[in-house]
Amino acid sequence: VCEIMDEVMRKSHEAREKLLRLGIFRQVEVLIDTCQGDDALPNGLDVTFEVTELRRLTGSYNTMVGNNEGSMVLGLKFPNLFGRAEKVTFQFSYGTKETSYGLSFFKPQPGNFERNFSVNLYKVTGQFPWSSLRETDRGISTELNFPIWKTNHTLKWEGVWRELGCLARTASFSVREESGHSLKSSLSHAMVIDSRNSTILPKRGALLKINQELAGYTGGDMRFLKEDFEFQLNKQLLWDLVFSASLWGGMLVPIGDKPSSIADRFYLGGPTSVRGFSMYSIGPQNEGDYLGGDAYWAGGLHLYTPLPFRPGRGGFGDLFRTHFFLNAGNLCNLNYGGGPRAHLQKLAEYIRWSYGAGIVLRLGNIARLELNYCFPMGVQSGDRICDGVQFGAGIRFL
Amino acid sequence: MWNEGCVLLMGCSAPFSLKAFLQMCNLPVRVVCRANAEYMSPSGKVPFIHVGNQVVSELGPIVQFVKAKGHSLSDGLDEVQKAEMKAYMELVNNMLLTAELYLQWCDDVTVEEITHPRYGSPYPWPLNRILAYQKQWEIRRKMKAIGWAGKSLEQVLEDVDQCCQALSQRLGTQPYFFNKQPTELDALVFGHLFTILTTQLTTDELSEKVKNYGNLTAFCRRIEQQYFEGHDKDNSGTAAPRSAKRSLLR
Repeated sequence: VCEIMDEVMRKSHEAREKLLRLGIFRQVEVLIDTCQGDDALPNGLDVTFEVTELRRLTGSYNTMVGNNEGSMVLGLKFPNLFGRAEKVTFQFSYGTKETSYGLSFFKPQPGNFERNFSVNLYKVTGQFPWSSLRETDRGISTELNFPIWKTNHTLKWEGVWRELGCLARTASFSVREESGHSLKSSLSHAMVIDSRNSTILPKRGALLKINQELAGYTGGDMRFLKEDFEFQLNKQLLWDLVFSASLWGGMLVPIGDKPSSIADRFYLGGPTSVRGFSMYSIGPQNEGDYLGGDAYWAGGLHLYTPLPFRPGRGGFGDLFRTHFFLNAGNLCNLNYGGGPRAHLQKLAEYIRWSYGAGIVLRLGNIARLELNYCFPMGVQSGDRICDGVQFGAGIRFL
Repeated sequence: MWNEGCVLLMGCSAPFSLKAFLQMCNLPVRVVCRANAEYMSPSGKVPFIHVGNQVVSELGPIVQFVKAKGHSLSDGLDEVQKAEMKAYMELVNNMLLTAELYLQWCDDVTVEEITHPRYGSPYPWPLNRILAYQKQWEIRRKMKAIGWAGKSLEQVLEDVDQCCQALSQRLGTQPYFFNKQPTELDALVFGHLFTILTTQLTTDELSEKVKNYGNLTAFCRRIEQQYFEGHDKDNSGTAAPRSAKRSLLR
């Protein structure tokens, strides 16, 4: 009887998790009791799920203040539009400098939440001071997610009207040449295998992400094939020491005779990438504006330990780690007329690398803050470095 | 000198004015045509010049820039003449330039048949339609602001006629507007008249108005012969082939 009870409790817990993940219930309670009533089975159990639904429409209103800019953000959400956990969210941000908005519709397959599909409509603006570039994207995308065995796949079509402009009158001519409008219509596929125990500061497990994007065959005037991957491996050693290794890489191949656009290229450097260098300030540049590159690789080796003398153990102190790191990477263009062998050679010469140590703070399960002391090495002329203390905040770190 | 693709930006006089001006100053110039030249320009207007590290756009600032470098066409004029030249340049900018824009963007037939397809041709669908409409709204809003939105085609042609009359009277039988040397005014007037005379539109009424004044057409032909013949070999158009070469000398 105990085994059956255990089984029932485990299964109802699983069911409760699944119901909560749908995102349509505020609360799910499980009641297990012996069968009662006229049609009761002998030795039977009644499992009852008591749920409280979320409101039909929820809204939010925030104000945000950033670098010389203030904005008002309005959000609206229908968590369960047609009764099968379809979600519609709308977000609108009205700022002193830019406005942006996004509307998205999400539908999971009934009974199989991992399989879902969404449609998004958006306008986003971005300012990239390291390139003196301003970008406004207006686009529509449709996405299909589905699991196959242990991997998660995403198929996506995206159509974006991209407008590039100079951020300042002093922008370099190379950036000026990229100003204007273009239309990108692309199909992409991403595969993720994640066996880590946590997204931030994992203790064990591995992550592999492979992403490819083909643009130009469904309309638009941008034509390219873009591949990039991300790999991470974590292993716990003795005494709460965690060793972590990561490797990133990517390649952008323009198809046809039009060169690649500054908005599609890869960038390297910064507190979330190769530490010790300024944000995205490695590689090809013109008059101080960084233009990105068609191919790159970056790798990191980390050793995480708890804080020395373990202050605040069991509580706040557990959110911190000290870490020792070694980062390396390289970025280059592929438009000099060489073959694959020449490309590999180019990526292997003039490697930038850095080492150092610092403190990492984990924020929930999404983000982390780092404060490091870095020694950049292998610096080439044109790179901008940040040796000494460097602060970083983000969700994806090398 | 950067200019919108030569085949594409029909009816834009400024590039020709600038080219004439630079040729008159004896400054070597290389013309590059690009579809996104309008967005590359710091002020949003073509043409612009890229000299060393500097980018200067629009005829007025470029004349100042060139003057600061020591080349000027109007040094030989006295104060009264300089003021007169400025007045005529204002007249040309207010009348001829606005008339050209009106005909390109406010006359429905021209807009549908010529302007929209030409303006949107470097871009794929649906971007070509979106950008063409965006430009049209922008120009029409400007027209409303200066009071031209309510004008009919006949009124616009009347204004052009009056402007040409004033110019023709000032020119008289002289080779150039001031003395025997060309000035910025000559370059500017040449640019506009050349554009009007050689641009394909749905009607010929505009070019007919200019042709009524013999000395103006002779003036254009003279400048074209003197400064543009033989200089065409120096040009390089990168994006658009110069399939329709414009010339008054046929």
